Amino acid sequence: MSHVVGIDLGTTNSLVAYVKNGVPEVIRDQSGDALVPSVVSIAEAGTVFVGREAQRRLLTSPSRTVYSVKRFMGRGIDDVQDEAALLPFSIGGEAGGVVRIGVAGREFTPPEISAFVLKELKHRAEEFFREQGEFDFEVDRAVITVPAYFNDAQRTATRDAGRIAGLEVLRIINEPTAASLAYGLDKKNRGTIAVYDLGGGTFDISILKVEDGVFQVLSTNGDTHLGGDDIDQMLMRMVLNEIGGSAGSASHGISAQRDPAHTEVHRDPAHSAPMGADAGQVPPSTEAIRGGPATLVQAIRKAVIQAKLDLSEADTAEIRLDPSRELPNGYTRRITREEFEALITPLVERTLGPVRQALEDAGLEPGDIDEAVLVGGSTRIPLVRQRVADLFGRKPHTELNPDEVVALGAAVQSDILISGRREMLLLDVTPLALGIETMGGVTSKIIVRNSTIPASGREMFTTGVDNQTAVDVHVLQGERELAADCRSLARFKLRGIPPMPAGLPRIEVRFQIDANGILSVEARELRTGIEQTIEVKPSYGLTEGEVERMLIESFEHAEADVEARLLIEARNEAESVILATEKALRSPDLDEVARQDLKPGELERIRTAVADLKQAMTATDREIVHDKTHALNHATQHLAEVMMNRTVREALAGKNVTDV
Amino acid sequence: MSDPIPLRSEAAPECRTCGAGAPVDEHFCPNCSRILALGRHGDYFSFLGLPRKLTIASAELERRFRELSRKFHPDYYYNASPAERLASLERSSYLNDAYRTLRNPVSRVEHLLAIEGLPSSTSNQGTTKVPPALLEEVFALNEELDEIREERESGADPAVLGARLAAARMPIDRKRDEHERQLQELAMRWDSQLAPSVVEGELASAQEKRATLDALRERLLERNYINNLLATIDREAASLAALRLADARSGRALP
Repeated sequence: MSHVVGIDLGTTNSLVAYVKNGVPEVIRDQSGDALVPSVVSIAEAGTVFVGREAQRRLLTSPSRTVYSVKRFMGRGIDDVQDEAALLPFSIGGEAGGVVRIGVAGREFTPPEISAFVLKELKHRAEEFFREQGEFDFEVDRAVITVPAYFNDAQRTATRDAGRIAGLEVLRIINEPTAASLAYGLDKKNRGTIAVYDLGGGTFDISILKVEDGVFQVLSTNGDTHLGGDDIDQMLMRMVLNEIGGSAGSASHGISAQRDPAHTEVHRDPAHSAPMGADAGQVPPSTEAIRGGPATLVQAIRKAVIQAKLDLSEADTAEIRLDPSRELPNGYTRRITREEFEALITPLVERTLGPVRQALEDAGLEPGDIDEAVLVGGSTRIPLVRQRVADLFGRKPHTELNPDEVVALGAAVQSDILISGRREMLLLDVTPLALGIETMGGVTSKIIVRNSTIPASGREMFTTGVDNQTAVDVHVLQGERELAADCRSLARFKLRGIPPMPAGLPRIEVRFQIDANGILSVEARELRTGIEQTIEVKPSYGLTEGEVERMLIESFEHAEADVEARLLIEARNEAESVILATEKALRSPDLDEVARQDLKPGELERIRTAVADLKQAMTATDREIVHDKTHALNHATQHLAEVMMNRTVREALAGKNVTDV
Repeated sequence: MSDPIPLRSEAAPECRTCGAGAPVDEHFCPNCSRILALGRHGDYFSFLGLPRKLTIASAELERRFRELSRKFHPDYYYNASPAERLASLERSSYLNDAYRTLRNPVSRVEHLLAIEGLPSSTSNQGTTKVPPALLEEVFALNEELDEIREERESGADPAVLGARLAAARMPIDRKRDEHERQLQELAMRWDSQLAPSVVEGELASAQEKRATLDALRERLLERNYINNLLATIDREAASLAALRLADARSGRALP
């Protein structure tokens, strides 16, 4: 039997989990790492790298490496123009249409990029099941999570990504709700729960009532552009300002004064504007960031993230940048937790507005909350924990790893769907009102926010002009009164209405939201029975045909993908052989060994083999990497034996091995 | 939202799996026990197995909602036939809509009026024509509002105007409280008319029931009107507050 999994497709990192004997478990790689960075890099030859390897390539191939693609899911180029200007990869697309990302001479939609991440997770899970000795290790079905505050277009894009990755998407579920399922397993089985989910790029708050195993969401709220990325951005800006100040040039190319030859390079679009991998939404003050070269900005980003993590454990942390061409004197700065908290307080406060709104929508006071649960890496920050504790007057739950809890919950939900087990049931809500545009550009709501899904609604409309034979149905999502302020989900025309005086036709519009939170719309004229049904998609989504084509293309690229994986494995092996060899070459008594035991020229041959292998690793031919690894292994075989023998001899001579 | 007309599949109420007939408001086929498509059925009350009463214990509503959710939810029909999956989607949507409508006392009354065949109480006429019972208050309020607006525009002290506005609001607030009480009383009268009266030992007549429903509808229309009045007052209060804030910033309003 093929397998089902739960997937947390995150802005920064993604994870996959499964249920074993009723207990959810995260699937890790050999080194015990559960997180797959949501980064995709595409080499010139079309080879696709995903995860850690792609993350490494952020520094070396910024224009070919795509990150934080979750920000672009279900959005149009007009939504992301500001952000796009700051990214090192190219973002395009027609106005009013889906975003297109240009990498390595090809164009990808955000669901296609996300599909690469999903395929990597699928592969990871399949490898895991194969190693467990499963006969059928295929993973073909998944529950995928999305932020609760994702709109219809963003959900649909996520479902499309799953399909392009060759997965049957059993269900799209909300991240905070998934987390509550994971917690619900061994918690007391009733009460009112608040789930506070601050991730890399999004913030969600959900209020749930749990009774008799039914997890009923009462209300949800959030901000799809608020997360840890924004904290990184604040810290990066601080560092860039300080560096700029010390270099005597506050906002322009940092090395420009020193090395005029390089200013041109920095202005090259491929190298400028290299936002951090999880570039914050808050469009940074970023002449400063734009001014810096890609590698320096990435180095700063890495350093401030480390400091941020350290500050969750310690009272002070160091932001350290080694000297480099762009920064000849390096940079070191201590930051105290007080400074850090002062910096991020406005951001933490911003999360409290949605929390209050969710409580109000649920008809509750903070004191009515029995349990608060923290989800998302950013909830490791002590200030965040403190604010949540203050608000609800109780210590929030943090027993489960906040990075993993969503994937665990997704796995639980996948198990419920497949097994038909009925101990638990998740009843979620739609986060935003759905409606259509009526005369004068006003929104007429058909389904209100926080309605339990599946949900349906209908409303009667009519024509505004005599003898009108067609009406435009413009489907909207959002809380605002004016259509222009709401999200446009789709437009379609109901035609063939017989000519009648204005106000006479009876046009019924029906909305149906399924258990994934995805909407379909029907419109019909009741006097004639003329009907049109659409699954809401077009405004910022892919058509059915496009998804099909992408799925086929992904099969066509499957061979290249396998090739890419083999290359990565070959490189990893090569790296470990090089490391071992270099260690031996640094040995203090290498000269003595060479004199006594090695043939003339043997060391040179080894050094040449190392250089050859390093050279081979810069290209993408796996066979050559393989051959050169083999050659290096061969070249070092004798040296390894000699070193081993010496160690043994010296040990026998009573010398301590560690002295060798 | 309170409309009782079914989602779709107005087709025959028979079971799509085995073809046997099923009574209205039966959720599962008596013959093959499969989930039934949402066919001709009654209303939100009967769907939940509740009498058509306006007083519903919220714990009881919640319990029934959870119980039926567990029976209908699409999660449990993942492996079922397409017909059953559609039935599960329709039936749980309808359940959720029913729950949302009956949970709120006002939408509950609106739904009752709709299924009892009374014209909608949320239509536009209801909100534009002044209900006779409110004529006096509305007249006084509009006069006061006009004056306040005029004086605001000619630069009068917003603090003073704010106090006048609060005073003007009081009779409307009282009116709304009175309406809430009346609605409550009417709801209880309706509920008692449904059951055989303990005192008289006989059912209320159709006319008596109709009179109660008419009164309920009247109260709802008035209620909508009152809410609109209160919203108008709130808007004016917001304008005044903004002025006071601006004054405070410019220092003019400081003592």
